[in-house]
Amino acid sequence: MIGSPADQPPADRPAPDRPPRLVPETSDPDTGGFFAAAAREELAVCACAACGAVLHPPRAYCAACGGWDTVWRTVAGRGRLYSWTTVEHQTHRAFPVPYTIVLVELDDAPGTRLVGHLPDRPELEAGMPMRVWFEPVDDDGTLLPQWRPDSTNAAVDGG
Amino acid sequence: MTPAGLRDGITVAGHRDRCAISGIGATGFSSNSGRSTLSLAVEASLAAVADAGLRPSDVDGVVRCDMDAVAHNDLAEALGLPDVTYWGSSGPGGAAPGGMIGQAVGAVLSGQATTVLAFRSLNGRSGARFGRSGAVGSGGGGGAGWRPRAGGRGTYDEFFFPYGLVAPGQLFSLLARRHMIEFGTTGEQLGHIALACRARANANPAAQMADRPLTMEDYLSARMISSPLRLFDYCLETDGACAVVVTSAARAADGPQPPALIRAVAQSAGPEPQLGFLFPTLLRDSLTTQTSKSVADVLYRRAGLGPGDVDVAQFYDCFTITVLLQLEDYGFCAKGEGGPFAASGAIDKGGSLPINTSGGHLSEGYIHGLNHIVEGVRQIRGTSTSQVPGAEVCLVTSGLPVTSSALVLRRAS
Repeated sequence: MIGSPADQPPADRPAPDRPPRLVPETSDPDTGGFFAAAAREELAVCACAACGAVLHPPRAYCAACGGWDTVWRTVAGRGRLYSWTTVEHQTHRAFPVPYTIVLVELDDAPGTRLVGHLPDRPELEAGMPMRVWFEPVDDDGTLLPQWRPDSTNAAVDGG
Repeated sequence: MTPAGLRDGITVAGHRDRCAISGIGATGFSSNSGRSTLSLAVEASLAAVADAGLRPSDVDGVVRCDMDAVAHNDLAEALGLPDVTYWGSSGPGGAAPGGMIGQAVGAVLSGQATTVLAFRSLNGRSGARFGRSGAVGSGGGGGAGWRPRAGGRGTYDEFFFPYGLVAPGQLFSLLARRHMIEFGTTGEQLGHIALACRARANANPAAQMADRPLTMEDYLSARMISSPLRLFDYCLETDGACAVVVTSAARAADGPQPPALIRAVAQSAGPEPQLGFLFPTLLRDSLTTQTSKSVADVLYRRAGLGPGDVDVAQFYDCFTITVLLQLEDYGFCAKGEGGPFAASGAIDKGGSLPINTSGGHLSEGYIHGLNHIVEGVRQIRGTSTSQVPGAEVCLVTSGLPVTSSALVLRRAS
């Protein structure tokens, strides 16, 4: 779902005194399907139609079976926190510090990891459940899958 | 399919001890050279050629790092080389130096060149800075390289840059955190790596940090840059250049300096090289075993040596965690024990494995791994400012994580 202010980090929208967001390229022939799914508020990974192997980052050829047919497989927007860093030294004008980069391993696609951005310095723990949300990053309908700690499932498996 | 033993035999017979580094050169290291990268490359190259007892007209091969602004023809023109019959570039980025030496060795042994210059020149502080100017990938900079859309066109940066993952230090912070999660590694253990490099720099007048001692209190109280990495976990952005001359062992023996025999060189992309550059390596099965592990396996096999034979090592040290991972991957301690090993004193002067005896990237300067080769040659010659007594075998490593390369230098017996 697209976030509401009550339960999600504030959408980091451009403001007159703020730099523009760094918007992902969404038209790449191999990776565009990921963002097309995100624009529908779906999390999808590229998978081989023949053998089912997840191909991330997305690409057209499956080295495991030699297949050239891929599908965009919708997966649950749930994962576990694999690693994180809180950035205190600003290097890019689009990202005011402090902010935290999270690396999340997908529950539905073991070994597949996606990145997320959290403002400030949240309290985090290795292996904690994470949940996706979709952040608008421009006025053209581009949604960026983001991750936040999943308060609906407090169980931690130690990562 | 070739039997493994035969394959190894061919590999080993190919280059072991047949080439040497006969000359080394370096500019001064600074934060603002005020000079072009071409001028820096020329100065370092002239110094290396003179050190080898040669003239520029003897050079017929040039190898470079793929990120260098100076192309082989730039250097050939500026040095007035009569003809370059071999050139090549290696990389990506910090993975280049060992691969560059490998290309030089290949050129010499295959008869494509007799005398090869390998160089790296950069204005790493006053010019293009990582994470700021688009130097990493296509959309990473907020300056001149600014693009409204990040990634695409086969870069895969669209999965990373929009989240603020834009600088190499942020990636290495994620690796450090993961090492802490898996093995309980501490910031103080990383600090011992920073302190060892700084202490060696304090003995090296050419090091940028020659006059700046560092204590553990300084290290721990320094500001966090990208947790868990602090200021002194980061290397120095540096203006400068280094160059070395590679030739046959026979020709090197006729030179004025003791040859540093190239015992073995190796490159490895590992089993999961990943697409794109740098950030997709976060998708590998393990973040705590790196391409340094697979290159170590190839290198030791080709050298016919193991970690127990290494007297001194120059580890690529863009960050402290980079060294810690390599201490494990190159077999100097077990996986997960890099922290206690670093804290044990083993990596210090007088320890079982003195490292980065010029101060390394962390405290001498960041010449993208080429200064590590220059210092490795000094150890073999016996001329380091932190000389390891009787050093006969020096390991020199180049960057990770995307791919990696390394070499073993040996004193001629």
